[in-house]
Amino acid sequence: MSNDLWLALLATALGTLLIRLLPLLWMQRRLRRLDGADGIEAMPRWLSLLGPMMVAAVLGVSLVPDRLDAIGWLATGIGVLATLVVWYRRRSLGWPVVAGVTAFGLVEVLAALP
Amino acid sequence: MIDQATSAPSRAWLSGVREAFPLLGGYVPVAISFGLIAVQAGLTAWEATLISTLIYAGASQFLLIGMIAGGAPLWLAVAMTLLLNVRHAVYGPNLAPWLDRSRWWLVLMHGLTDQVFALAHHRLPQLPEAQRLGWFTGAALLAWTSWILGTLLGALAGDWLMARWPLLGEILPFALPALFLVLVAPRCTSKRWSLALMISIGVAMLCSLVGYTNIGIPIAAACGALCFTLVRFTPEAPHE
Repeated sequence: MSNDLWLALLATALGTLLIRLLPLLWMQRRLRRLDGADGIEAMPRWLSLLGPMMVAAVLGVSLVPDRLDAIGWLATGIGVLATLVVWYRRRSLGWPVVAGVTAFGLVEVLAALP
Repeated sequence: MIDQATSAPSRAWLSGVREAFPLLGGYVPVAISFGLIAVQAGLTAWEATLISTLIYAGASQFLLIGMIAGGAPLWLAVAMTLLLNVRHAVYGPNLAPWLDRSRWWLVLMHGLTDQVFALAHHRLPQLPEAQRLGWFTGAALLAWTSWILGTLLGALAGDWLMARWPLLGEILPFALPALFLVLVAPRCTSKRWSLALMISIGVAMLCSLVGYTNIGIPIAAACGALCFTLVRFTPEAPHE
């Protein structure tokens, strides 16, 4: 790789780190200024709303299947259903994911059978 | 898994590793794809791995390699990549109330991807303060390591892997939506929250379907937040 390309990669890496780091430092300073206030209360309202909404948005984009046909959507729907049912019963992180992937995989495998 | 509270700070990182395990289902296949594409674009396996180690930002790595391979000016490739990563700016502040003053957090922010944030945002408030640094270190290191090793694997043997187990690459990534679903579901504590979260999910899906996946994330989050602000149900639930 050329030197220019290496410089571009390093600039991207540094920029990405700063995007993740600087807002944290800003918020930590804000929390220190409001010493004594509850952390969540000290957070701007819009920011505390954006956190859960970003997670929901990441869920949304990851729900769109790679194969945009009936099988893809059916596998996704059944995977979602299996995940939710197991989460409702166990309220844990691991087993619902196992159930969801298994259900999703079963539909994909069955659909691939000749 | 979540019910098994860690009993000592020294075990916290193990708990983080265990709870981040579902992320691997999404990370490894995508990292293998990245390694494969980077090599096809003319990079060596080590260069591809170094990019994953240093930049560590999923989709934007694909964009960067695509633009470089397509002959775009380097400054434009860097700018577009950083623009894609701007959404990460809201993650750190959302975790700040649960972070102590340890300097390690500054280094660990390198590992604050979409997925690690989603997991940490759910889990850190539930953990005792003494265990949070260890938990995050375990979770973030597992995710980072899997991304790096997945890239190396893809660069060295991606062609063979994709030909040998084509379905595996399609099935395992469902671990990501399944995990996010488990992280979002407990937040549906009222009609107001449920509607706002559903709007966010729906808009993100629409954006992804029309090809604007990454810009769709902040747009969808803003729509959800706007919905939460504007729409009120009466009577209000007491926990709001």
